Amino acid sequence: MTEIIVVTSGKGGVGKTTTSASVACGLARRGKRVVVIDFDIGLRNLDLIMGCERRVVYDFVNVIQGDCTLKQALIRDKRLETLHVLAASQTRDKEALTAEGVRRVLDELIAEGFDYILCDSPAGIEKGAHLAMYYADRAVVVVNPEVSSVRDSDRILGLLASKTQRAEKGNGGVKEHLLLTRYNPRRVASGEMMSVDDVKEILGLDVIGVVPESPDVLAASNSGVPVILNDESDVSLAYDDAVARLLGETLPLRFLEEPKRGFFSRMFGG
Amino acid sequence: MASILTTTKPADAAAPAPAIDIRFGQVGLIQVRLRSTDPGAILDELTGRVASAPLFFQRTGICLDLTALGRDPQLEEMRVVMDAVRRAGMLPVGLVGSSAALEALSAALDLPVLAPFRPQTQTVPVVQPAERAEPGIPALMQHQPVRSGQRVYARSRDLVVTSTVGAGAEVIADGCVHIYGALRGRAVAGARGEASARVFCQAFHTELISIAGVFRVFETLPPELAGKPVQAWLDGDDLRFAPLSS
Repeated sequence: MTEIIVVTSGKGGVGKTTTSASVACGLARRGKRVVVIDFDIGLRNLDLIMGCERRVVYDFVNVIQGDCTLKQALIRDKRLETLHVLAASQTRDKEALTAEGVRRVLDELIAEGFDYILCDSPAGIEKGAHLAMYYADRAVVVVNPEVSSVRDSDRILGLLASKTQRAEKGNGGVKEHLLLTRYNPRRVASGEMMSVDDVKEILGLDVIGVVPESPDVLAASNSGVPVILNDESDVSLAYDDAVARLLGETLPLRFLEEPKRGFFSRMFGG
Repeated sequence: MASILTTTKPADAAAPAPAIDIRFGQVGLIQVRLRSTDPGAILDELTGRVASAPLFFQRTGICLDLTALGRDPQLEEMRVVMDAVRRAGMLPVGLVGSSAALEALSAALDLPVLAPFRPQTQTVPVVQPAERAEPGIPALMQHQPVRSGQRVYARSRDLVVTSTVGAGAEVIADGCVHIYGALRGRAVAGARGEASARVFCQAFHTELISIAGVFRVFETLPPELAGKPVQAWLDGDDLRFAPLSS
């Protein structure tokens, strides 16, 4: 039974594409057949984050418009054989997307036997974001622990509950999950940033993961290797925990505290 | 708008099933407002109308509005008018008016008196007294959180929200607004003028409260109210706020 998961936020720059790439890899690493689709037509970056930008021949819009077959557009990941990428067009814009076209592509992907279809949403609430969430079964709403991101996510949660196919047909609604990213425990302790509890109180949802702020994310984008594949990073562990929770496991939240520095590192300023 | 009777076919003599079902429906009706009872003029103008859109007007039901005549027409005048209307191709199905003589005409012509309706272009007066809700009709219930950018309006009754109202959301009621959760957005009670309406919430973080049009914006939350259960009401022209728990 294929599950369509949208990764959305409202606010831009909070970590949707980073999350889409890492969650896709995390699921594929566990043997699931996964395809991740970039819905940000005209401003694509999923292919950059996945490291396959030089292998994009055909894109999502080409498939919708019938210029090529779906198989021709899907890019298989070189590291994980059950993972595929469907890149966005860089030359067109969101007007090229249609609801029927998106539905056809999703149906074809379901027929191909994928276990998970991840839709990487653009920022905002316009057509690209709307179509990315419209056919979703589940949503991962990415939030930074600061006021404008939380406000925008509240808006997105409202749209998920009203302007999606599941909401309109009344068959269960989209299952919503919150993912807190760029979490900095020191700034939370000093009161500059909102805590996990603050965000949960305002948005009324439990978090499926807390991903710490880290320079590893930028390094990952630069090298085209999704950060979850960096075994030495706390970010990788946090994303892996989130994937486990998405699959139904219960795990305690990590990385909520500042890492304690040992005696020697404090002595020698490490 | 008229109500219509629907009838089913007559039942068999052996079966005790009812011969008719009565239901209330709504139809749109063309209103023909008479400015004169001159049958020739009426026939000419109506014939022209019917010819301009025969599929729409031919044999269509119309109600005759007598309010613009400025006087009560005689029965014979009306019979002649109705004949002209029928010859033009329209079918009178009702009368609209407000005079006492109308009842007599209605009986004599065998046409019902229909309530006058307001066409779309007529503006509604700005201040309307709030309709009294019928006893026994419960408040509008909102169980899902009201998210930023959403608006919920309870017409002619109270609004009860059993979750939170997010910043940037609006909850509006003609009656009272009861929020069993945090209020971070706007709450408007007595939206159509009911000054006794109140706003209640369990955690006061609101952006704006308005009761019967008197509003207050909260740039900062007073410390004695912030985050607490609070009720707001109108005292004359002033909004008053007080913590709910004693």
